[in-house]
Amino acid sequence: MPTAACGLELGLKLRQSLRIAANGLSTNLRMLACCGLTPDRLLTRAAPQRSAKLASQSQSDMLQQNVPMLPLLLLLATAACAQQGPDFNTDVRPLLEKRCLGCHNEKLKLSNLSLATRAGLQAGGKRGPVLERILEAIRHEGAVRMPPGVKLPDAEIRTLTRWVKAGAPWPENAVTKAPDKPLHWSFQPVKRPAEPEVRNRSWVRTPVDRFILARLEREKIAPSPDADNATLLRRAALDLTGLPPAPEEVAAFAADRNANAWQRRIDALLASPHYGERWARHWLDQARYADSDGGSRDEPRQIWRYRDWLIRAFEMDMPFDQFVVEQLAGDLLPNPTADQLTATGFHRNSPIQIEAGTDREQYRTEAVADRVDTTGTVFFGMAVGCARCHDHKFDPISHREYYQLYAFFNNSDDWGNDRPRYNARFNNLIDVQGPMLEFAPPETIAKRNQLLRRGLQLDEEMTEFRRKNPKAKDDPYVKERETEVAAILKALPRKLEGTMIMRELDQPRETYTMPGGDYLRKGERVSAGVPAFLHSFSAKANANRLDLAKWLVDPNNPLLARVTVNRIWMQYFGRGLVETENDFGTQGTPPSHPELLDWLASEFVRSGWSQKHIHRLILNSATYRQSAKVREDLSETDPRNLLLARQSRLRLDGEIVRDVALSASGLLAAKVGGPSVFPPQPESAMSASQIKKVWKASTGEDRYRRGMYTFYWRVTPYPALVVFDEPNAMTACTRRNRSNTPLQALTLLNDLAFHEMAQAFALRLMKEGADGRLDRAFLLAYSRLPAAKERERLRSLLAMERDALATKPDEIAKLVPLQAEGDKTELAAWVQLARVLMNTDEFITRE
Amino acid sequence: MQHDDLETLRRTRRHFFQDCGVGLGRIVLGSLLARSLPAASSTKNPMAPKPPQFAAKARSIIYLFMAGGPSHLDMFAYKPKLRELNGQKPPESFMKGKRFAFMERMAQQKMLASPWQFARHGQAGTWISELLPHTAGIADDIAVINTMKTENFNHAPAKVFAHTGSIVPGRPSMGAWFTYGLGSESENLPGFVALQSGPRGPRNGPLIWGSGFLPSAYQGVPFLQGSEPVFNLASQPGVTAVRQQRALDAIRGMNELRYEASGDDEIATRIAAYETAFRMQTSGPELMNLEGESKETLELYGAQPGKNSFANNCLLARRLVERGVRCVQVYHTDWDHHSNIRNGMSKVCGEVDGPSAALVKDLKRRGLLDQTMVVWGGEFGRTPLSDGEEGQAIGRNHHIDAYSTWLAGGGIRGGQTIGETDDVGFYAVEDQVHVHDLHATMLHQMGIDHLKLTFRFQGRDFRLTDVGGQLVRKLL
Repeated sequence: MPTAACGLELGLKLRQSLRIAANGLSTNLRMLACCGLTPDRLLTRAAPQRSAKLASQSQSDMLQQNVPMLPLLLLLATAACAQQGPDFNTDVRPLLEKRCLGCHNEKLKLSNLSLATRAGLQAGGKRGPVLERILEAIRHEGAVRMPPGVKLPDAEIRTLTRWVKAGAPWPENAVTKAPDKPLHWSFQPVKRPAEPEVRNRSWVRTPVDRFILARLEREKIAPSPDADNATLLRRAALDLTGLPPAPEEVAAFAADRNANAWQRRIDALLASPHYGERWARHWLDQARYADSDGGSRDEPRQIWRYRDWLIRAFEMDMPFDQFVVEQLAGDLLPNPTADQLTATGFHRNSPIQIEAGTDREQYRTEAVADRVDTTGTVFFGMAVGCARCHDHKFDPISHREYYQLYAFFNNSDDWGNDRPRYNARFNNLIDVQGPMLEFAPPETIAKRNQLLRRGLQLDEEMTEFRRKNPKAKDDPYVKERETEVAAILKALPRKLEGTMIMRELDQPRETYTMPGGDYLRKGERVSAGVPAFLHSFSAKANANRLDLAKWLVDPNNPLLARVTVNRIWMQYFGRGLVETENDFGTQGTPPSHPELLDWLASEFVRSGWSQKHIHRLILNSATYRQSAKVREDLSETDPRNLLLARQSRLRLDGEIVRDVALSASGLLAAKVGGPSVFPPQPESAMSASQIKKVWKASTGEDRYRRGMYTFYWRVTPYPALVVFDEPNAMTACTRRNRSNTPLQALTLLNDLAFHEMAQAFALRLMKEGADGRLDRAFLLAYSRLPAAKERERLRSLLAMERDALATKPDEIAKLVPLQAEGDKTELAAWVQLARVLMNTDEFITRE
Repeated sequence: MQHDDLETLRRTRRHFFQDCGVGLGRIVLGSLLARSLPAASSTKNPMAPKPPQFAAKARSIIYLFMAGGPSHLDMFAYKPKLRELNGQKPPESFMKGKRFAFMERMAQQKMLASPWQFARHGQAGTWISELLPHTAGIADDIAVINTMKTENFNHAPAKVFAHTGSIVPGRPSMGAWFTYGLGSESENLPGFVALQSGPRGPRNGPLIWGSGFLPSAYQGVPFLQGSEPVFNLASQPGVTAVRQQRALDAIRGMNELRYEASGDDEIATRIAAYETAFRMQTSGPELMNLEGESKETLELYGAQPGKNSFANNCLLARRLVERGVRCVQVYHTDWDHHSNIRNGMSKVCGEVDGPSAALVKDLKRRGLLDQTMVVWGGEFGRTPLSDGEEGQAIGRNHHIDAYSTWLAGGGIRGGQTIGETDDVGFYAVEDQVHVHDLHATMLHQMGIDHLKLTFRFQGRDFRLTDVGGQLVRKLL
């Protein structure tokens, strides 16, 4: 009885609960909130910081390319025409078509607003009809600013203002015509612009300079002079290889009187395998590469061969279209080679969540979404992820189109996220991380698989038995199986070499939209496809990843080449020509030099997608070679150096901070590729992981490998890299932060790895320096000789150290490296000097 | 006395920071800065204190995080009805369409009453069980929410959700948002500190105090036990304090020369960063040394100098906020009682009850509770149903539709219980408080409108409360 009564009561209360649950935000509100469209939030969006003059310049550049206009909150005035407004058909209609209809047409109807018909205008949009707000919006005065990012020319604002003030008259049958495609600049085909004429022709070294100089001349700004040879060489070496030039190279370059000495240096650097390493690391950021799964268990994974594939691809200048196709769909190419399969590791870099009790479908869904989002970020230069829950609010990607993209990735075999049951005992042993390309002898693999299958079977039998017979602890049924499992665990071949790859399922999954991005909700069924706003997709039915990849590298793709050359540019100047390198959509910033961007993009495709060709165009330019010295004359007109009348000093990435220290010390092991390594790190660095991980510092050569080879545990990454803004490898990172913090100082001052390098640096100087020890030290650390003041300052430091050490043999013993010989007092003083040199801003900066 | 001196010093320095933009480096450089240089935003000290958006109630936050899913039904949610239903099958309507962790074994479970006695405490008559006698003693300082709601029933994602507002790791932790929005008042310590005790780190470790896509300067810095709480705080052998000072002088000299030559403000920032680093080398060990605390204070917390315990961490949390640190996360693990909840809860409650209450009392008597918000809770609660394989001692499964969290200080109205659940503590029937709502309220007390603290990443403005979040007005 009590149960029944209670059931009733519970039922009642449950209904109340449900009401509360439903009492959340409506879907619409959530969408607005997600996109930053709540009025409050738009107020807080920082306006781009640039001088008024430059801003208006680039805005008009943008407007020439016709930016679509996003939702205006229109209210048709009910009042009769009070005053004479502009003519709808001749004045207003073309304006609406040009500025607004790209998004607010009958088909896209962004913000649920169509300006195609009078009825559409009357109906208003999602935010209701508020006539006054149109004006506020186009004047960019209030929370909603239209068109987004770019203000209309004054004349057009005046026309619309007069129209609205006149009651927004709209002849009954007048229909505006939407353009076929959105008019946003980056969605238009790349057109190769003519190289502009410049007055100061002698400054021009490559066509790049014409575009930069033409603009500077328009603003009456003179470019900066070349940086000195030593700075130039160090700059190019760090940018291309991530390693400083050897003192001998600096000397040779200074002595080279050949007219094309610089070009030859650039060619030599581009031919170095270290170029492959440096640029592979940039790509690894985008690929969210790591050596472990992420998630709470953070199991290690084998995927370093993908990293090595990248190094080789960059080194050989693999055509970028091939580079993209092999990474996205190497497995679907006819008779794929081992390399082509390895390349598909790109999309196996998704994090994997393994935890007891998890709903695995949820995490498989997350992995697929990660692949879609990464594809968007890396290859479209746009966040498609917004459309996972609802139509994209700023860019023309619908919810349905998101899932059409999703369908390309929904057929992959994802054991890691997909296996029906989590099995703790065999977790490390079966390839829970999904399909692998294996390198062990086939018979070993066959043996392993057989043992695993048996082991899993036994484990499941025991679980089932225990469930049915909870009391029977020592039943022979279990005992027998336990013995066999123990034997299997002993006999299993472990640590077989392999690399994670993509593989399609034999039985494709069906793809449905997921309203609100909720994996439990099934919307409309969709097939694989691409967003309609881009170039046409001619693939057959049942298109797969290979079709997607081929479509991406179609020369008609307006985004891929632009996005890619922009990211290359960004590495050389600290900022892309499009500053929002991950948002080429309507919310991104317009390019500072639109013609240059398009010229480079067309050059990229024309050269057969050669990245090295783009590097040469930039590195050989006078623009690149300028001094980075801050110019007071530009502090008002171009404080952010958008026009590039000088170079910029850029703090080195974390891996390169390590590399320059290893280079100076002479410890660097130049070996390229191979399994990730374990340089020394603070003892407690692994203490935060749920499953205790052991970090056994590598010995020998592996202790001194380049930073990029450091084993990356997603949950407990290497502190000295994290502190210098190494990305977290959970999502694609297209641009690193460059922070400047006390923890960086503590790392360089006190970290064991850096201390060992300072000791080795000092030891090296004792051996190599003889009389010019300080000169040698500067050449190794900064590729230049010390200035008089620096010499003086450091000599006084050495003198103080010698004095202080004279009476402190115990301190000397601690400071000098173990293998020290000879004058240990002097060596200890130089350890201190080496520490100083390795801690300056210049040491970790490319100037 | 000492505290006053510190406060004076802090204020003086604050003054410099505000006036000089990049901090002490500017002062050091003196005449160099007579020249006017463009002030690019990137050169500002990311941790320089920033004014709140409106008058803040709280200056700092201490989050005592009970990782594993503490059972609200055995501590705060008093359910006499559950006692009547103990051992019975749950009504079908109750289980229909419901998803659990360990779904397969939930079908066989029965209703489970709390084995502990509950009583009303304080003037407000807050229900608290006998597991938490010390917490009962601060009943009038705390506001207990019994209707918390989260979105995923597994530890790792729920924990990530509780910290970042997203179940997928990679977004900024709330502490990172606080320091991003407000900077830090401490010049010698990181603005956001994570303290942990127990046998292992909380799941997902650094991902839950990470800065996600915010600049890494805002990530939580895990403090370790011992005299070197931060990685690389101690100098290497042979590098004495004087030697370090000499090195720093020379580094500064070199940097100043380069600054003169290049005019790059980043160098001024780096000079300041090195000054701070050196001060941290002294202030870190000083912070960790509990010997200076009175015997009475140590006893209040149950802290023992040199030990790695939750009690020590609560005391450290007070010392951190005293020194101007913006956000302190204190982790206690071991709340995942699928089986043998009787022993498990007795043990963990015994470990955290005293120190948690001591922290509130100690902050209060030092006048710090007004400006420090203390939050106590885990990533979810537990089911009113039993869990565990048969034959084992009984426990409870994960539950996300109702669980308990308490708050104190920082302008939170204590002495109240918010939210009512149904008769078995399964669902909220009144005042559901979603994790986003809690975050919104915490931000609000710190003087920040959660809708206005955003960061643009990959084409979208992100915020801690994602697309949700409503102020819990009853807390204010």
